[in-house]
Amino acid sequence: MAAPLKDRDLDRRGRVREAVLHEGFLRHRSFRWLKIATFLSLAAVAGYFLADVKPRPNGGSWYGYMLGTIGVALILWLTLLGVRKRWMTRGRWSLKAWTSAHVYLGLSLIVIGTLHTGFQLGWNVHTLAWALMMLVILSGMWGIAVYATLPAALSNNREEMTQTQMLEALRAVDRQLHDAAQPLAAGEAALVRKSLAQNPFEGGIFRRLSGRYPGCATAKALRRIAGNEKVDSLLTRKLAMLARVRRHLQLKAMLEVWLYVHIPATFALIAALTAHITSVFFYW
Amino acid sequence: MAFLIRSVTRTADGREIVRETRVDRDTLGVGRAAENDLSLPDLAVDPEHAVITTRDGRRISVTAMGLAFGIDGRSVKKIDVDSAKGAELAFGGHRVTVSRAGDDVVLAVRRVDAVSDAEEEREEASAFSLRGKLPGKRLTAWLLVFAVLLGFLALPVWSFFQPGPKTIYQAQAEHSWSSGPLSAAHHQLEGNCEACHKEAFVSVRDETCRTCHKDVHDHASPERIGKARAEPGAWGRFLQGVASSFNKPGPGACVDCHTEHEGADRMPATAQAFCTDCHATLNQRLADTRLPNAGDFGISHPQFRPVVGDIRVSMDAHPRQDNGLKFPHALHLNNKGGVARMAQTLQGRFPFGDALGCKDCHAPSGDGARFRPVEMETSCGMCHSLAYDRVGGTVRTLRHGDAAAAIADLRAYYAGASRPRPVEMGGGRRRPGAYAQAQVYSVYFGSAGQRGADSAIRNLFSQSGACAECHTVIPPSGNATWSVVPVRQPARYLLHGWFDHAAHKTETCASCHKAGTSGNATDLLLPGIETCRTCHGGEGAKAKVPSGCAMCHSYHSAEGAPWQPRRNIRRTTQTGAAASARRN
Repeated sequence: MAAPLKDRDLDRRGRVREAVLHEGFLRHRSFRWLKIATFLSLAAVAGYFLADVKPRPNGGSWYGYMLGTIGVALILWLTLLGVRKRWMTRGRWSLKAWTSAHVYLGLSLIVIGTLHTGFQLGWNVHTLAWALMMLVILSGMWGIAVYATLPAALSNNREEMTQTQMLEALRAVDRQLHDAAQPLAAGEAALVRKSLAQNPFEGGIFRRLSGRYPGCATAKALRRIAGNEKVDSLLTRKLAMLARVRRHLQLKAMLEVWLYVHIPATFALIAALTAHITSVFFYW
Repeated sequence: MAFLIRSVTRTADGREIVRETRVDRDTLGVGRAAENDLSLPDLAVDPEHAVITTRDGRRISVTAMGLAFGIDGRSVKKIDVDSAKGAELAFGGHRVTVSRAGDDVVLAVRRVDAVSDAEEEREEASAFSLRGKLPGKRLTAWLLVFAVLLGFLALPVWSFFQPGPKTIYQAQAEHSWSSGPLSAAHHQLEGNCEACHKEAFVSVRDETCRTCHKDVHDHASPERIGKARAEPGAWGRFLQGVASSFNKPGPGACVDCHTEHEGADRMPATAQAFCTDCHATLNQRLADTRLPNAGDFGISHPQFRPVVGDIRVSMDAHPRQDNGLKFPHALHLNNKGGVARMAQTLQGRFPFGDALGCKDCHAPSGDGARFRPVEMETSCGMCHSLAYDRVGGTVRTLRHGDAAAAIADLRAYYAGASRPRPVEMGGGRRRPGAYAQAQVYSVYFGSAGQRGADSAIRNLFSQSGACAECHTVIPPSGNATWSVVPVRQPARYLLHGWFDHAAHKTETCASCHKAGTSGNATDLLLPGIETCRTCHGGEGAKAKVPSGCAMCHSYHSAEGAPWQPRRNIRRTTQTGAAASARRN
């Protein structure tokens, strides 16, 4: 459902202002959810110090149970972003509003969840749930940080090229290299062939994230082959293209990798919460 | 015969283009170099890779010049091929199919490998993403969910339902549910959850505690406690409602005060509120109670009511107690008078200072909490001698505490034929030391000693005699002879509160007990509550020693020290000392 646009959202010609359309989820509605989450956290801290729980703050006191209930409700609602994001709408409950709430309420869980523990941590299922929650939040913070900083770097690196164009450019260089290398002697031809045969997407997660490829056959061929100007210049072009592709892969990996922690850890957290809550009532 | 070279290429849309070249020669060069008849633009092929020659128009011979080549999957250097039977030769990424058409040997050439890896078909979206580089999110999520539910839910529940003693693994599985270590007293129950958590989803009940704690006294009858408990406010009723709807026992259940899993130390002290809920406004609900209302120690605790004689009297009423002695503390503690002088004289024999101190007569009990009764022989007797005779080096002393024996001793003394006068008898002033133990103290007998036993006995018990100096003497009446009013030295005045002298070692005696100005033995030298309040305040007070009820009182009405973690007291004392050190 689209929310009605207000006058201030439109310019003189009645077009939607760009700033309104492009307001990110972090700044959504002048940080509405940041304010709500801050208020929630401060209220939780104030309650922690004001609540008269004996003998000491503890997850099993009335205040502890209250924080725990709020925490688990928040966690389940935050998890629903995974369902909600596949279903894009605008307006009050736009996906942007939802994401903004997800981020800030998720951060407020650091306060709510930690106060719920009463700072009594140990090697048990209860602390496991807390640790998983912190892992989810920290990975989410990483996600926010990379979303805020990396797209600019990604765009600078691409220089208007799409991924298809990058791949096509590599292919074009490869074809030219293949043709240009035909007169080479067997040894040098083998070097070029290795460069052609090397998969530009090879290597594991650490290679992707580090962006360092010490076994690069193209770089090796460039070092070893001298005297063939055409092959040399093609290898140089290929290396430059590879550097761009690898930087692109590195940035994309950094943008994606946190989700590989965030999402499985969320499900592990819900499992741990199930065990945590069951155990509390089981040994009531 | 001739070679028919048929090169097959594929267009981008998959169509095949076939070009045929006829080479009318017996020998054919194969290689990457453009000069070859069969030129293969393939970097995996040598410039001059092999030579194909005809043998008899039907058979051909293929010979490698350097690197080997493949034939039907094998790698060889030289091979003869029957073109009628056919074969497939492999040079790098090219395949050459040998066949026969009429008289000609047909060599069909096609490239099977892509020019480069980049050329190969790939799913672009997945190639640029991390897919395949990390275990899938969904798979990882399910595996983790399974592992957590198995390890932290299924195993502990399974272990709970296992009968008999547990294996270490079962105990460990359940242990992951423990929210914290048990207190030191319950340590042996660690890993034995069922000892207290008897039934699933039923909280710990009092009966379970009583299986071990069989002789715990009730604070009062349950009906009376129920009546005494303050009606909670709206919030309290709400909390109670939630607790009872979740099947929690109470109020007044063991677990209300005694919380567990709070750390492997002593159990934490019970909070003040557990007492004041009833006692702060007790008279509003229990009209017949004899107890005054008691709340926070610093603000609303009643004055102490020590037991004097047989009744409890408030310290505000300045109670006096006749303990049977005529002992003025002020006289004995004076640092100028004759007592101080005597103490100086006897310094070599007893550990006296320049005047008498409390410790010279009062010795702490074994646990240090209280003091042993003062004994005449060891304390008073250091100065007050009951000696009446000296035989050689032996001083004979009247029996203290037994009037009849003293009378008998004196009679026996005078029954002897012609007793010489006691050596020390006679007038004149004496040095203070001469009154001391092991000196014959003739002042009490004086000249009476010369007039015989009856006179000496009368003199002994008279107002100026040895006994009456400290005691109240009852003269003979009827058949009864002289006797002395027994002395009472109560060891404890506050029977419902616990006071530990050992915990107050940092204080001087005089800071609480005003003995130095007490001129009468009937003065009750106990401090009032205001003295305690100079250091002690309520549980949440800013006083030097914040003190909950449990510091002095025991809920379960036992004689000994209240159940209370010593650690807390020491810590507060240390922080108090540190705070006063900072102030200085």
